[in-house]
Amino acid sequence: MSIGALSTPYQAEFDANSQEFSLAGVIRPRTVDEIAASVTALRHAVEGARGVLYINVKRLAQMNNTAFHAFARVVLDACRARSDLRFVVVTSSVVGWTERMFRHLGKIEPQISVEVYDSKFYPGQDFVEDTSFIPILRTQTKMTWRHERTILPRHGMRAGIAMADICCGIGDFAALVRKEFRPARIVALDHSRASLAYARNVAAEFGITDIEYTYGDASEMLLESDQFDLVTCRHSLQIFNQPDVLLKELFRICKPGGRVYITNEKNSHCLGEPRSQSIQWTYEEVAKLFSHFEMDVELGPKSRRYLADAGFEDIRVESFMVSNLDGDPQDFADIIAAWENVYAGEMAVKRGDSPEFIRRFRQGFQDHIFAALHPKGYAGWPIWAASGRKPL
Amino acid sequence: MSAARAKANFEPLIELEMEMGTFLSDWDHCDHLSSFMARMISHNRTDPVRHSNFFSSALNELLEVTFRGGLPEGRIGCTVYRQGPKERVKLTFPCPPSQRQFYREAVSKTREQDAYDRYLDAISNDLAPSREVILLDLAINFEAEISLEEKTSPSITLVVDLPLEGIIS
Repeated sequence: MSIGALSTPYQAEFDANSQEFSLAGVIRPRTVDEIAASVTALRHAVEGARGVLYINVKRLAQMNNTAFHAFARVVLDACRARSDLRFVVVTSSVVGWTERMFRHLGKIEPQISVEVYDSKFYPGQDFVEDTSFIPILRTQTKMTWRHERTILPRHGMRAGIAMADICCGIGDFAALVRKEFRPARIVALDHSRASLAYARNVAAEFGITDIEYTYGDASEMLLESDQFDLVTCRHSLQIFNQPDVLLKELFRICKPGGRVYITNEKNSHCLGEPRSQSIQWTYEEVAKLFSHFEMDVELGPKSRRYLADAGFEDIRVESFMVSNLDGDPQDFADIIAAWENVYAGEMAVKRGDSPEFIRRFRQGFQDHIFAALHPKGYAGWPIWAASGRKPL
Repeated sequence: MSAARAKANFEPLIELEMEMGTFLSDWDHCDHLSSFMARMISHNRTDPVRHSNFFSSALNELLEVTFRGGLPEGRIGCTVYRQGPKERVKLTFPCPPSQRQFYREAVSKTREQDAYDRYLDAISNDLAPSREVILLDLAINFEAEISLEEKTSPSITLVVDLPLEGIIS
């Protein structure tokens, strides 16, 4: 249910299947009467629950003490009446005060515990947030930027706009955009504290003070709705297990008439000559490997469908090939070497692949590097850039 | 207020003043003012979005305290200062003599040793949070240092130091 009695609507929902009561938005009532329906809904949820009832507040941006006491009252009363029932409050690591407030409940009734929703809830995020990946991310952006700097104006990039770079990683794309296009405001959000720390250090070294780096969960952002002319999200839908949820958030924070720009890969289409067959086999296996960890690195050509399903109009899709001919071939080779280390050295091992498989898997990467560095060779990494306009 | 704290060099960031009658005309003023001021003062914090969210949460509670005990005469003033990782909120509002003692005691209790026990007791037993509990909430969940200034009778000033930059980082 979406409750509009307060100035800012909030959501209170109960999912009986997962026994999860969720509160989201801003809940700042003057009196308990204003949220009586939601408090009653929680009471009913408690009455019908068995075992564990989850109280999900990870999308709760604000809640005043009046509301906190009212909902806490229901849970505490239930603990006293129902020794068979446990409560797990799921908070977000992004919204700091929720964990602080709700943790007190466990001090009063041990049946109540708090779990902080973090990257561990996303399959495969440990791999993509690994700090050892940072140097190679810089090289990747350097190579894709050669193409994107000419592509971006076709997707809404221009001077003076307010833009958000969601899943900004180490922030180098935001810094390049700032220099090249001079937007009026840039917010750069990521879920990796290590990447953000790196981004802030780099910004400080270059005297950049006007990029707002923020820690956040891209699928549940604190950013307000309808505030950015352009929202960029690069190479990230493909590594979320629910890209549609992420796209919904990008749509939400985009101004009506503004655009959301996404880039994604189709890894099985990575290619090279010579040794094309070995390369092709390995990248087809890369796609399967990511799929095992609930990530779709084949998403690129599906961008149009995702954007359409999310409600965008005027959808534009194009693709470009990053290759060993873009500047120094060694840069391309370094990227592939980093992929080999993570995909074959960590992910395949975690999946439980045999040494024989991993050896063949590695060979494809080695052959891709061989092609990249070969004086007559060609090595490519295709990327799809797409954007859609949020209807007015 | 300690001597060291009095000497601290807090730089003003933003100041807001309005008629109490206007402020009290709409409950949503608490939400709107806290959100606006939080956004304004947080833009150059390390993590502007999260700092703004945290700060808005604290300031809204303070404004709600003022709203609930407010009288429609005089003016409400809210100034935010900064010193390093700390923001200071000075909230000045008309306060009848009958309520002054209440604020003195409520502020004093935020510094007492049993503050946390009383806070838990209030969550555990009270049907709704009192203004005293809200000040405890600020002291406990936002690590606020709260004091009271009574120089501008008939108004009083709640002085709340919030070390949110450190908490968020």
